[in-house]
Amino acid sequence: QMCIRDRYQRRVHGDQGFVIKMAGSGYDYDVSTLSPEGKIYQVEYAMKATENSSTILGMVCKDGVLLGTEKLIVSEMMVSGSDRRVYSVTKQIGMVITGLLPDGRCLIDRAKEESASFQKQYGIPITGKVLADRIAQFMHMNTIYLWARPYGCNIIIASLDEGTGPALHLIDPSGQCFGYFGCAAGKGRQIARNEIEKLGSKNLTCKECAFHLAKILHKCHEEMKEKKFELEMSWICPESGMVHQMLPKDIQKELEARAQETLEKEAMADVQSQIMKNINICLLYTSD
Amino acid sequence: MESTDRFVPVRDGTTIMAVVYDGGVMLGADSRTTEGSLVYNRVSDKIEPIHKRIFCLRSGNSSHTQKIAQLCRLYVSQLGSELEQAPPVYSAAKIIQSFIYNYKSFLSAAMICAGWDPVKGPQIYTVPLGGTLVREKIATGGSGSAYMSGFVDTHFKEGMTRKECRDFMIQSISLAMFRDSSSGGIIRLVDITKDGVSREYISHDQLPLKQPLSLIH
Repeated sequence: QMCIRDRYQRRVHGDQGFVIKMAGSGYDYDVSTLSPEGKIYQVEYAMKATENSSTILGMVCKDGVLLGTEKLIVSEMMVSGSDRRVYSVTKQIGMVITGLLPDGRCLIDRAKEESASFQKQYGIPITGKVLADRIAQFMHMNTIYLWARPYGCNIIIASLDEGTGPALHLIDPSGQCFGYFGCAAGKGRQIARNEIEKLGSKNLTCKECAFHLAKILHKCHEEMKEKKFELEMSWICPESGMVHQMLPKDIQKELEARAQETLEKEAMADVQSQIMKNINICLLYTSD
Repeated sequence: MESTDRFVPVRDGTTIMAVVYDGGVMLGADSRTTEGSLVYNRVSDKIEPIHKRIFCLRSGNSSHTQKIAQLCRLYVSQLGSELEQAPPVYSAAKIIQSFIYNYKSFLSAAMICAGWDPVKGPQIYTVPLGGTLVREKIATGGSGSAYMSGFVDTHFKEGMTRKECRDFMIQSISLAMFRDSSSGGIIRLVDITKDGVSREYISHDQLPLKQPLSLIH
C-alpha cells in the first residue's frame, strides 16, 4: 500500500525515485514540499550554493559603513572590472552579492526599482531597513510557489540614512533578513566572522576599518593561495562624501599591500614562536 | 452650461492659515462650507488629521479635498508602519501633490499640509491648485486669504511664542471672515508640537471683530 506521494514519485521519477536516496530522500523535489523534520530542502540547497562561493563581508563603523568581497579571477583574458559584485542601489545604499551571480544581479535590479518607486511616491530616499525588508520578502516569495526556485545568493545591504545612521542587513536565500554591526557570508565566513567580532569592540572609523577588512579578505583566501584573486570594496563615509562609492583604486592598492605585509609578518611571527617553543623543548631535554 | 446651474458644488470657500512658531506649528481655519449662496455647514472642520503629528487644511471643492485627505492618510499610515518611525511631513505633502498635480484637470483643490517630524521639526507645505509644492514658514489659503494678506505681511515675524502666534492667527482669520462672504462661523485652531496636539475653537462671541464697522456715524 503506497501513499499518494510515493505513487507520484514512482510515476514521475520511475524506479530511480526510490533507488537514489539522497539527503532529502524524496522531499526535496520542489520548494513547495516540507520534509517530515520541518525543513524545506530546496531552500537548504540554495543556501549550499552560497556556502561555497566568494566571501562577502560588511562592517558598520563609527562614521559610516564598509562592504567588501573577494573575486577569483576566472580567466587571464577577462577584462578586469567587468565582474562586478558591489553595486550602488541609491546614492546612499550599496549591495554586494555572492552565490549564483545572475540571481544576484536580478535582485539588484529589483532593489533599484523598489528604491525608485519609493522615492517617487513618498519623496524621500528609501531607508536601508525598508529596502532590506522588501528584498527579503521578494526572495521569500520564490520559496513558496511550485513553479519558482529560490534565489541562490546571499546579499549584504549597506546603507547610511539621515535619521538612523549607518546600517547593514544580511539576506539569505530563505528570505531571512537581520540587521548587523558586522557580517560575512560565503566560503570564508567562519574566519571572517571571528575576525569581525574582534574588530567590533575597537570602534574604528571607516578609513581604519578598511585596512582590517582587506586583511580579513586576504586571510580568508589563504586556503587557495595558488588561485589569483582581486578585491572589490566600497564604503559610505565622510571620505566618500557620505555617498556609496567604490574604494578609490590607489587607496585600495595601498591597503592591500599593507594587508599582505601584515599577514606575512604575522605568519613569520607564528613560525618564529613555534621555533622558540621547539628550542625550549630541546633545551629542557638537553640540560641534565 | 446648464449642468453648472443645476449642480453647484459644495465648496470650502474658506480662510485657512498655518504658521510655524518657536516650538511647533499652529493651523487655523474658519468653519463655513457653502453650496452656492447656501451656508451648508456653519461649523465644519477643515483641519484633517493625516497622522499623529501631521495635519492638513482643505480649501476648494469639499468632496475633492476630503478624498485627497483620506487617500493621503492611507498612504502615510502605510509609510509610518514600514519605516517604524514618525513619517516625514514632506512625504505627506508629496502624496497630496501627486494627486492634485496628476488630476489637476478634474480637481479643484488647494491644500496646506503641516506638522512636526523628528528630523526637520515643524514644517508647512502648500499645494495650490496647479500642484506646486512649496515649503513655507507661513501659509494662507482659500478665498479669504486675499483679505488678510496686508495684515499678515505687516505683522508676521519668525520665531513667535505660542501666545503671540495664537493671537496673530485669531486676528488674521477674523479679518478675513469679516470681509469674505464665503468664510465665517467659528475659528478652529490646532497646535502641533513635539509633545502633542491640541485642538480648540474660538466661538463667535469671542472673535475680535463682532460688530460691522460703520463708515458713517
